[in-house]
Amino acid sequence: MISVRRVTKEYPNGVVALQNVDLEIGKGEFVFLVGPSGAGKTTLLRLLFREEVPTSGSVMVNGHDVGRMRPRQIPYLRRQIGVVFQDFRLLPQRNVHENIAFALRVIEAHPREIKRRVSQVLELVGLSDRGHALPAQLSGGEQQRVALARAMVGRPVMLLADEPTGNLDPHNAEDMMRIMLEINRLGTTVVMATHAAHLVDRARQRVVAMEGGMIHRDELAASYHVEVNR
Amino acid sequence: MRLRTWAFCLNEANQNLLRNPVLAIASVTTTAISLLVLGVFLLLTVNVNAIATSVESQVAVRAFFAKNVPQSQETAELQTVRSWSQVRTATLVTKAQALAELKKEFGDQAKVLDSLGTANPLEDSLSVTAQKPQDVKVLATRLSHLDGVVHTTYQSAVVSRLFALINDIRVVGLAIGVLLLIGSLLVITNAIRLGMAARRREIAIMRLVGATESLVHWPFILEGLILGGIGAIVASGLAYWSYVAAYHNAVRSLPFLPLVAPSPVARDIALLLLVLGILLGAVGFRISVRRLARV
Repeated sequence: MISVRRVTKEYPNGVVALQNVDLEIGKGEFVFLVGPSGAGKTTLLRLLFREEVPTSGSVMVNGHDVGRMRPRQIPYLRRQIGVVFQDFRLLPQRNVHENIAFALRVIEAHPREIKRRVSQVLELVGLSDRGHALPAQLSGGEQQRVALARAMVGRPVMLLADEPTGNLDPHNAEDMMRIMLEINRLGTTVVMATHAAHLVDRARQRVVAMEGGMIHRDELAASYHVEVNR
Repeated sequence: MRLRTWAFCLNEANQNLLRNPVLAIASVTTTAISLLVLGVFLLLTVNVNAIATSVESQVAVRAFFAKNVPQSQETAELQTVRSWSQVRTATLVTKAQALAELKKEFGDQAKVLDSLGTANPLEDSLSVTAQKPQDVKVLATRLSHLDGVVHTTYQSAVVSRLFALINDIRVVGLAIGVLLLIGSLLVITNAIRLGMAARRREIAIMRLVGATESLVHWPFILEGLILGGIGAIVASGLAYWSYVAAYHNAVRSLPFLPLVAPSPVARDIALLLLVLGILLGAVGFRISVRRLARV
């Protein structure tokens, strides 16, 4: 599903965000990207949905060489990938239903299909009764669930989440985690960058730990920190 | 794109315009004014052209014979000249007729000519009018080469002054029109750019969820076309109807002026303004589109 080979990313200002990174993620996996701020987690995610291109090395996503993709092919890559950010990124003047439908309207889905899928995905995130609310009328947890619904409404094969629980209280964060694990159980590959150690520890999924632009640990069914007596 | 996608883009464009009504009105107004000025000058040029053409076609070329040329030769030359393709009318004006004409032109002051007594200093001449105004110069040259003709004249000064006037009107009108067009282009561009800034979030999300670039662009293209198009409709409507009204007034009060009838020309100019306005909108988008890439 994802194959990152010897990828280095240097920004124009000279900052080297990733150094010679290798990472393979299979279909249907759930992977936590952990590590301190500036470790390169966000850059790695941005390379996967072609928000950035690698300085060297190759990034393959679902069979496409993302770094060498022509600009006109990018939209079609992104339709296979759902993305969730820490800051939700909802449209404030549109209600929940419209925010989610927006993602389908811009890829020219049929209105009947939009209606059907929006209500399915609202059910998945537990917001079936909030369709007409504006983002400002929702709690942070609810807003993030709307963002998650928007990411999933196009039925992507892969979900990328950058600190999705960073702005949420523990209760909402756990809710969010539960939904993401459910999405993964239904077959979607999930890559989640996070600082939330307790969520990682409880989920017992694959953990890729980064620091200084390099991967220094990659373990299955692992916890946030290195387990000394394992 | 599908029909519902067009509807989506049109709706987005509309929302941009409604979000910034003052700027939208400013864009439409400047476009309308600049196109209207351009249209007025075009109509003016067309009309002064028509007047000049009609004046020029009425200009007669006179070819004066030397004093010793016999009448029979003059009549023969007259027949030759009448056979030329450029000639509409040709008549022989004897010096007696010329003196009579001169007296008529002098009117009250004809007494001055009495001092000449029985002497007539004038010469026999051919008075020739051309089929087409642009033939006047050629005719004058051909006539000057005739046997016995000493010199030719035509009222070139009037004609050349008229053409100079037309040129001035054309240059001034074009200059003002172009400057105003640039002004309205800037206002439209600014309106589109503000729309892009206001919709930065939406554009980012559109790209994130896999909207094609053309779908990202179209709302702004439509916005430009709507702004330029409405301005153009206002301008071409005003230009057309005011010309029709002015024409009918002028025909009544100044019937001798050979003005151009509105039916083909005002409609053509109105269409030209419409095309120009739409072009303004499209160019406004082209200028702004690089900004869009950075959103």
